Amino acid sequence: MERRGLALEARGVSKSYSGRPVLVAVDLEARWGEVVAIVGPNGAGKTTLLRILAGLEEPDSGTVRLHGRALMVFQENLLLPWKRLGDNILLGLRYARVPRGEARERLEWASRLLGLEGYLDKYPWQVSGGTARKAAIARILVLDPDILLLDEPLAGLDVSTRRSLMEGLVSVARGRGKAVVVVDHSVDSVARYADRLYILSQPPGRVVAVVDLAGVPPGERPGRVYRELERIASGVPREGGGA
Amino acid sequence: MPGIPGTLGFLASQGAWALAYNTGLTLARSLAGFLVGFAAALALGFAYTLGPLARETVRALNTILQSISVLIWVVVLVMIFGVLSPIPPVLVAALVSLPILLAAVVSGLEASSRRLAELASMLGASRGAYYRDFLLPSLAPPLAGATRSALGAALRISVVAEAFGSSGGIGYMIANYYNLAEPRGVFAWGLVLVALMIALDKGVLEPLEGRAARWSVEA
Repeated sequence: MERRGLALEARGVSKSYSGRPVLVAVDLEARWGEVVAIVGPNGAGKTTLLRILAGLEEPDSGTVRLHGRALMVFQENLLLPWKRLGDNILLGLRYARVPRGEARERLEWASRLLGLEGYLDKYPWQVSGGTARKAAIARILVLDPDILLLDEPLAGLDVSTRRSLMEGLVSVARGRGKAVVVVDHSVDSVARYADRLYILSQPPGRVVAVVDLAGVPPGERPGRVYRELERIASGVPREGGGA
Repeated sequence: MPGIPGTLGFLASQGAWALAYNTGLTLARSLAGFLVGFAAALALGFAYTLGPLARETVRALNTILQSISVLIWVVVLVMIFGVLSPIPPVLVAALVSLPILLAAVVSGLEASSRRLAELASMLGASRGAYYRDFLLPSLAPPLAGATRSALGAALRISVVAEAFGSSGGIGYMIANYYNLAEPRGVFAWGLVLVALMIALDKGVLEPLEGRAARWSVEA
């Protein structure tokens, strides 16, 4: 059944640590079937925002509404080095007592999607950083979350791995109707794939721009985002208003 | 002082049975003591995860254990259990191993990332599954290194306990030949202890540590 409307919405989310503000009044939403990217400089509170969306931290003020189960992929791979990649990916399915045959099917689907075939019997310390990152994502994907939150999944990956990973995530969003939220510090990495881009300011993080990219050809998307950034920098108001 | 030929000749005169019996006895006592210390270190490590009060108690206990001299343990345990009891060498080995293993468990727990606990919870792991699949295996590299030190210490110290009060074992044989003013016996059995320690370290503990250490290479 195809879902419509909002998958998650955050309104006025603020967070401080030891009196130091990290996030200030952040509004954000993601719809079913969308890839949403949050981009900002180091220390802008991107990870904190994702952790709040995942329910791992409470905001000081503001609300978060999730209309489905959200699971987060951490920035660190956190693969268990004493288990093979396949067993790492199957871990959550084992805890959920998913029948063996179905677990195997989900494993095969995720490994095909992310290009992990041929690596499932390897240990994490025997594969490249990119393959380990994909396995960490596959471990969450096989649990079939409604909302997938990824903290800098592209960090440290080469261009072709970034592209294949983002294409896989886009197919999860479009093909399976999931909401995918990706955090990154680089516009270039995610602009070609995201339906909407939230740009956070220098710390403390505030949303300084929301760039709608749905319907824009992938090749033109980075240009659209940079024009928006220039507009913000020069203080020119946006034509037609809106987000 | 006896020379090398004299010592080796004396050793050969002891006979295979005496060598195997006394070496086996010392090894069994040391291993038993080590295993008791290992189990206690894991139990205290589990307690360490229960809360701040338990954490402070475990830290204080470890400091106390580390500050008590082995000599005190040996004398007190021989006084309690008697000269011929097999318990003092085992307990002394346990008490010597425990602080070494506990320090490794505590440092492993402290290094264990909070994210790992969050991940376990996100994957739906029960508390038991978290300990079994996440926490205990992550302690393997520090514990393997500590096992090498702890088992070596257990072996050395249980020999001292055997010398104080026991009816067999390498320590008993060394003390016995010392009392008989037979330095060849003291050297011969000292040589057996050194050979046993090297064999154990190079044959078992070093490969075990290397195997466990590969896990610490995070992808």
